[in-house]
Amino acid sequence: MPASKTALKALHPGSRLLVALGAAILAGTALPLMAPLLTRRFVDDALGGAGTGHLLLIASAYLGLALAGQGVSLAGAWLASRVAWDGTNRLRVRLAAHALGLDMGFHGRHSPGEMIERVDGDVVAIADFVVAFLLDVVAGALLLTGVVAIVLTVDPAVGGALLICYAAIGLGMARAQRRAVPSGERTRQQSAALFGFLEERVAGAGDIRANGAGEHTVNRLHEASSATYRAWFRSERIGSGIVGATSVAFACGTALVLGLAAWRSASGTITVGTAVLLFQYTQMVRAPLERLIDQLKQYQRALAGVARVAGLLAERRTLPEPAAPVPLPAEGPLALRLEGVSFAYGEKTVLSRVTLSLAPGETLGLVGRTGSGKTTLGRLVLRLHDPARGAVLVGGVDLREADPGSLRRRICLVPQDVQVFAASVRDNLTLFREPGDDARLRRVLEEVGLGEWLAGLPAGLDTELEGASALSAGEAQLLAFARAFLTEPGLVVLDEASSRLDPASERRVERAMDRLLAARTGLLIAHRLSSLSHVDTIAVVEDGAIVEYGRREALAADPESRFARLLEMAR
Amino acid sequence: MPKTTPTAPVPPAAERRRSRDRREEEATPVLPALRDLARAAGLRRFVAGALLWLPVSVIPLASGLVMKALFDRISDGQRAGLDQALWLCAAFVGVEAVRGVLLWVAWTHGVYWWNAAVTVLRVNVMRTILTGGTRRLPRSSGGAVSRLRDDVEDLAQLADNAVPLLGTAVFSAGALAIMATIDPLVTLVLVLPMIAVAVLSRALHRVVRRLHAHARERGMAVTAHIGQIFSGVLTIKAAGAEPALLERLRRHNRGRREAAVRDRLVTSMLDGATNATVEISLGVVLLLAAPSMRRGEFTVGDFALFTSYIGWLTALPRVVGSTLYRLPQASVAIDRLTALMGEGSSPADLSRPTQIWFRGAPPPAAAPPEREELHVLEARGLTVDHGGGGRGVHKVDLRLPRGSFTVVTGAVGAGKTTLLHGLLGLVPLDAGEILWNGRVVEDPGAFMVPGRVAYVGQVPRLFSGSLRENLLLGWPADAQATGRALGRAVFERDLAGMPEGLDTVVGPRGMRLSGGQAQRVTAARALVREPELLVVDDLSSALDVETERLLWRRNTGGTLLVVSHRRAVLERADRIVVLERGRVAGEGRLGELLADCAEMRRLWEADAAGQRPVAD
Repeated sequence: MPASKTALKALHPGSRLLVALGAAILAGTALPLMAPLLTRRFVDDALGGAGTGHLLLIASAYLGLALAGQGVSLAGAWLASRVAWDGTNRLRVRLAAHALGLDMGFHGRHSPGEMIERVDGDVVAIADFVVAFLLDVVAGALLLTGVVAIVLTVDPAVGGALLICYAAIGLGMARAQRRAVPSGERTRQQSAALFGFLEERVAGAGDIRANGAGEHTVNRLHEASSATYRAWFRSERIGSGIVGATSVAFACGTALVLGLAAWRSASGTITVGTAVLLFQYTQMVRAPLERLIDQLKQYQRALAGVARVAGLLAERRTLPEPAAPVPLPAEGPLALRLEGVSFAYGEKTVLSRVTLSLAPGETLGLVGRTGSGKTTLGRLVLRLHDPARGAVLVGGVDLREADPGSLRRRICLVPQDVQVFAASVRDNLTLFREPGDDARLRRVLEEVGLGEWLAGLPAGLDTELEGASALSAGEAQLLAFARAFLTEPGLVVLDEASSRLDPASERRVERAMDRLLAARTGLLIAHRLSSLSHVDTIAVVEDGAIVEYGRREALAADPESRFARLLEMAR
Repeated sequence: MPKTTPTAPVPPAAERRRSRDRREEEATPVLPALRDLARAAGLRRFVAGALLWLPVSVIPLASGLVMKALFDRISDGQRAGLDQALWLCAAFVGVEAVRGVLLWVAWTHGVYWWNAAVTVLRVNVMRTILTGGTRRLPRSSGGAVSRLRDDVEDLAQLADNAVPLLGTAVFSAGALAIMATIDPLVTLVLVLPMIAVAVLSRALHRVVRRLHAHARERGMAVTAHIGQIFSGVLTIKAAGAEPALLERLRRHNRGRREAAVRDRLVTSMLDGATNATVEISLGVVLLLAAPSMRRGEFTVGDFALFTSYIGWLTALPRVVGSTLYRLPQASVAIDRLTALMGEGSSPADLSRPTQIWFRGAPPPAAAPPEREELHVLEARGLTVDHGGGGRGVHKVDLRLPRGSFTVVTGAVGAGKTTLLHGLLGLVPLDAGEILWNGRVVEDPGAFMVPGRVAYVGQVPRLFSGSLRENLLLGWPADAQATGRALGRAVFERDLAGMPEGLDTVVGPRGMRLSGGQAQRVTAARALVREPELLVVDDLSSALDVETERLLWRRNTGGTLLVVSHRRAVLERADRIVVLERGRVAGEGRLGELLADCAEMRRLWEADAAGQRPVAD
């Protein structure tokens, strides 16, 4: 899987840290390996009648070794967690960047809660595992190798038996793991679905409570939890089976070694001290091996996490980057032309053969019932989708060939649902970009009618907004206008932009909007005809097609026009 | 009575803050919560699980004794012992095989309890948020998810820890008793470093608590930021602000790494200390046993037994250490989950007994309460001060007789939504009272629900699932009633265009519907409940004129409380309440208000000015 390779490459910590970590792990393995050699001396010398002073010396050496080993392993833990966090932080940013690059169709299928789980939850599982892998798995494997090597030099027959035994256990474990991965993956999916459920319901808590649907939602939570439990149960049944079996297999290894040792010792080939040494090695290996197996659960989770991360990275953008990007005209208003544009979400045709033309500086009002395709049309102009047929041209450039950077700079959206970030007012205005000078931000807030609001904030532009609850919906709309003012675009798409404003605020915005659109091309998607008072042309959209198109004055004057009928109704 | 005197010397919000500060100084007790949790998730299963785990922990006692016998045979150095030695090896394998099988059974059994425990916690939190009467709504859904994931698991993990704790304690008692019969002095000395570890853990308690809370906070900052990246994806992509948001993510990432590494280091220090205990203990055994081994009083078999037991004995300080280190974490988790449930919740609410439905479906939600006919709804002196932040509403009076159409209007930020939220108990009242047919409503959050009241929010909230599920949310309505509600919400034409009808899947947060469709589905959701009073917060914001006009025409006759500033709605109203910065600036019919309410004139004329040029 090339995508999982890319995923893992992000985890590479850089060679210097890696060397330091390697050294710490090696030392942490070598020091405890030497301990049983000292015990062998001790037992043999004690049975051989050596002096107490000599024995005490060996015992002290053993103690020193133990303490040094602990110090080294602490350093290893510190290094490993740094390495893991550095790597997974990089991976998290990479994933977020990739997911952000995917088109709106993708985001329509995946809730923010699910994305949190995929960009953070999966990566945290990997981070936990990387730490455990370095400390328990790598160090454990090194220890096993060391033990086999030493035992081979002590007694080749016992060493050979030990080697075969561990090889068999390792092989069995690898086999079993392969069986465990798919069920781990299912558990992870269920848990992502559970947290997606919780996120949506917490976000909609007000609607649920006030409509008396709380108990019903709790029942749904029970169902989601039950599905998670069943997936979990299946995966743990396999996982714990592996742990139990490995433990038994390991005991067989120990028994085999000790049986051989008893036989060798009875025939006088090895000393009692060597038998103790063999026993200590098998004991010493046991703890790290059990920890290693204990990591299996995380290993499954991490493998599943890696697979899902790779799956996300393998998602292709449907909007291809232009081979030879053409920048949009850098200054002035931009012309807009739609040539026979059709678009469908899957099977459902949303727009069919729409043709529109706007001269630079002109404004067009788009009216029609909800669901008629107005919003989609706006998104095509922003190149959030590509048309299935036909072309969208801005400033004479087909958007499929336009340079993405200049496209984002020159075309601006004021959306229907305004996202207020839990961040400072400044970050909310600039969308986290370089702020430039505060005076300009203040001036723009003043212009859209948020001057008084700003003055009421405890820390001015540095005030932290706590998400959407910090602003009323109307104020949020004004904030979106302020964002638009800051970007100096050549084409502005306003999607229902003033729908949540009271008339007084809307008028304030309109004055400012006139200024914004004065030297710019504008596409106004509106349900409220009052926001169309200054547009040049009107297009009436019905079921994905333009059914009426003309100068506003002309349509308003013609009592037979749909637009005039809409006006009549709005009175 | 929830009525508070407006002249109370200490505002309730400040009082709440102070009591929270006080609580923060001492850790919330964890043990009662864990006991209740064990009970709520199934005490019998918990005990059964513990009894299954017990032999898994205790069987190594037998393994050690087998080892002792084996090494005593080996050190005898006699050929006759070989047979016995081989039998002992076989016995060792047998004992371990029993342990392996028990481990598998106990572990598999434990999965149920663990899942039951996390489910109890999540269900209790969600039930309190969704059905617990008047309380503030959670601020950030991303943050809430991270609490429902991590904090819940922390608590369950700690309760789960009690099982290995018991097992290792029993093993340790047995092992120490056996070792004491062999060499009491060495055994006694071995206990000392273990006590040292326990004392050290205790001392590090506070540091761990602080570092862990910090790491969690930084983690939440990352989660919340990722959450808002993806909920604001349209804004971000349209503005090309991706690099700036990723840069901010990097900054949050760095903060989290620093905190997490520090947290991990302290944990490793605790772990390291327990591991060092074993090594040091073995060294101590060698030092102390050297003379008696020379004399032959301490045999090689004894040494093998000590070696074998000391390895397992580490589990005790380790499990004790990890329990001690999880205790403060759990205390943080309890505090945060309690805070998530909102004001008036106590830690005891977290582990209230809750039926678990892992096998079989839960029974359908209780039948809706009896319809209670509305004659008149009154509100007196409603005040919500949002913690004194200057926003909110102050001393608002309302009177809605049966069949009336009341419109709340006002400039942006005047407190219109807050007023509705206060009335519905979606935010606690700081003062004032609500009367339903003249009777005081004690808990608006629990009372102002269907069959009395239904609500359409300003931003449509839909959930992954079918249209039908989003519409009914468990409400018992037949096809006819559903069709009626959809008609009144002007959704019938949209529905006709959907090949799968009510089974159409709306996608996460209803993203597959257009904004206007989503809003009309939420309207239908309220209408299908056939409320006595329908509360609507600016339904018109995503609707075109024609649709909206149709919708109001189809909903005349009921009692309506509506936030709007559209002229058509204002003209239709029986009574208009004009809010200005949270206070009532005027109320009455449109004509009266236009005559003597400056704010109404300002709003009205602004709207007229906005419309006239189009109509010309």
